[in-house]
Amino acid sequence: MTAIWAVAALWLALALLATLLSRWLRVATALSEIVVGVVAQLILGAALGGAVLSADESWVKFLAGAGAIVLTFLAGAELDPGVLRASWKATAVIGLAGFIAPFLGCTAAAYFILHWSVQASWLAGVALSTTSVAVVYAVMLELGLNVTEYGKAVLAACFVNDLATVIALGLIFSPFTVHTLVFVVVSLVVFAVLPWLTPRFFHRYGDRPSELEAKYILLLLFGLGALASWADSEPVLPAYLIGMVLAGTVGRDHVLVRRLRTLTFGLLTPFYFIRAGSFVSLGALAAAPFVFLVLFAAKMVSKSLGVYPATLVFRYPRMERAYTTLLMSTGLTFGSISALFGLTHGVITQAQYSYLIAAVIGSAVIPTLIANMFYLPRHLIPRGREPVAAGIVSAAIGEPQGEESL
Amino acid sequence: MKDIVCAYDSSTSADKAFDFALDLAVHYGATLRVLSVAQPPEPPSMVETREMLEEYEAQYRESFSALEERARGRGVEPHFLVRAGHPAEQIVRYAEEVEADVIILGHRGQSRSFVDRWLVGSISKRVLTYAHCTVIVVR
Repeated sequence: MTAIWAVAALWLALALLATLLSRWLRVATALSEIVVGVVAQLILGAALGGAVLSADESWVKFLAGAGAIVLTFLAGAELDPGVLRASWKATAVIGLAGFIAPFLGCTAAAYFILHWSVQASWLAGVALSTTSVAVVYAVMLELGLNVTEYGKAVLAACFVNDLATVIALGLIFSPFTVHTLVFVVVSLVVFAVLPWLTPRFFHRYGDRPSELEAKYILLLLFGLGALASWADSEPVLPAYLIGMVLAGTVGRDHVLVRRLRTLTFGLLTPFYFIRAGSFVSLGALAAAPFVFLVLFAAKMVSKSLGVYPATLVFRYPRMERAYTTLLMSTGLTFGSISALFGLTHGVITQAQYSYLIAAVIGSAVIPTLIANMFYLPRHLIPRGREPVAAGIVSAAIGEPQGEESL
Repeated sequence: MKDIVCAYDSSTSADKAFDFALDLAVHYGATLRVLSVAQPPEPPSMVETREMLEEYEAQYRESFSALEERARGRGVEPHFLVRAGHPAEQIVRYAEEVEADVIILGHRGQSRSFVDRWLVGSISKRVLTYAHCTVIVVR
């Protein structure tokens, strides 16, 4: 056990470092953990041997996999089901447009330009088709649109977009055997029963120190995850759907959600994202940066082709159209989950995985930086009004400055 | 002067800005609005963003009760608000919405490192550049 404790301590030291970096640089912890994983594997691997992180040990795989599953469940539970029901037509159209354009565009780019295999090209399409719900949520909050019908519809559309991505990931690479049929049927029954059963079960037995609610959720996630894995599908597919069907009940239980977040961010997701980073080959990236550029450009162009027309339909002002399109072109978590699925299932090589992760990170960072540099805060200033420079009064308490002090 | 917006981020500098804003509110009998901005990580990532915003809000609500007591002691009933986004953008936007006469903010907010300032830019500089009204930066 000594070796396991030592490796666990090393992983948590890396997780702590990643958290500090994310705090200092004010970047997402997931992004920071991936980068720390890349650098740690490079430096520690060169100094102490490639297997120093033990990324393929079964217990590391379990913690990492559990991290992806619980994080995906929590993401699904953030959905507002009322919004989905209220404007399902617009939501479905925008969400599917935001998925289909990059899915087909990136698949075509990988197949025709990079000459990847058919399976690897589909995986590239899936990994680069996501829209970051979190980015759009933050933008809607910033613009005060989260309470408007438009804002709610676009947010719900992002869930549809990601749902399409997860379904594509879960089913495209599945062999469609009896196992698949059993998985689909059992999942549908569980999804139908859960919204009825869960609140009643919690009401009767929950709210005690033994954390029955958390055990119940983890049982569901691991149980259906095992079934998905048995059917050669991806465990995050049922996790996202369980989150969505329980969004109206468990999703509103803030205490339970916060406990699950603590477990997820405190222990599980660092293993997932650092592990995802440790598989990136910087050598492969340096050898063929053109591949990264093709994938990144394919995502940006195809996403814009899907999202921009949707913002036109809703008559969004010009600058906000560009801003929203840029930010909806981001995607981090589902992109990395898809890429790691491809690597661990032999769909893509380590080099292809590295290009995909680089494109996913690029799509998470670059549009946000561009948007912040060129659109903030100018897009809020009405046309024709110049920034006010005159009339500025700078005062220093205790240091009166003539007529400027008050 | 009828409407004062004070940007507040729990730092020492913001505390000075609040005191200054309170002095002005008492002097002019103006409405005092205290705005705090919760800034999500870049790029916002799933689940973490909501967690962070909830934490910020809880933290600011706690600070607000202390500020409220100080203001009530001087006969002022301030309005408190927490918004999400880039601080400079939200401060300018809010001041425009309420047609504020003056924005008051501290010179340096909490934990703003060199990298942070390079990435996001100086909040006070941005507010000074884009605000529609008078801006007072308290040192």
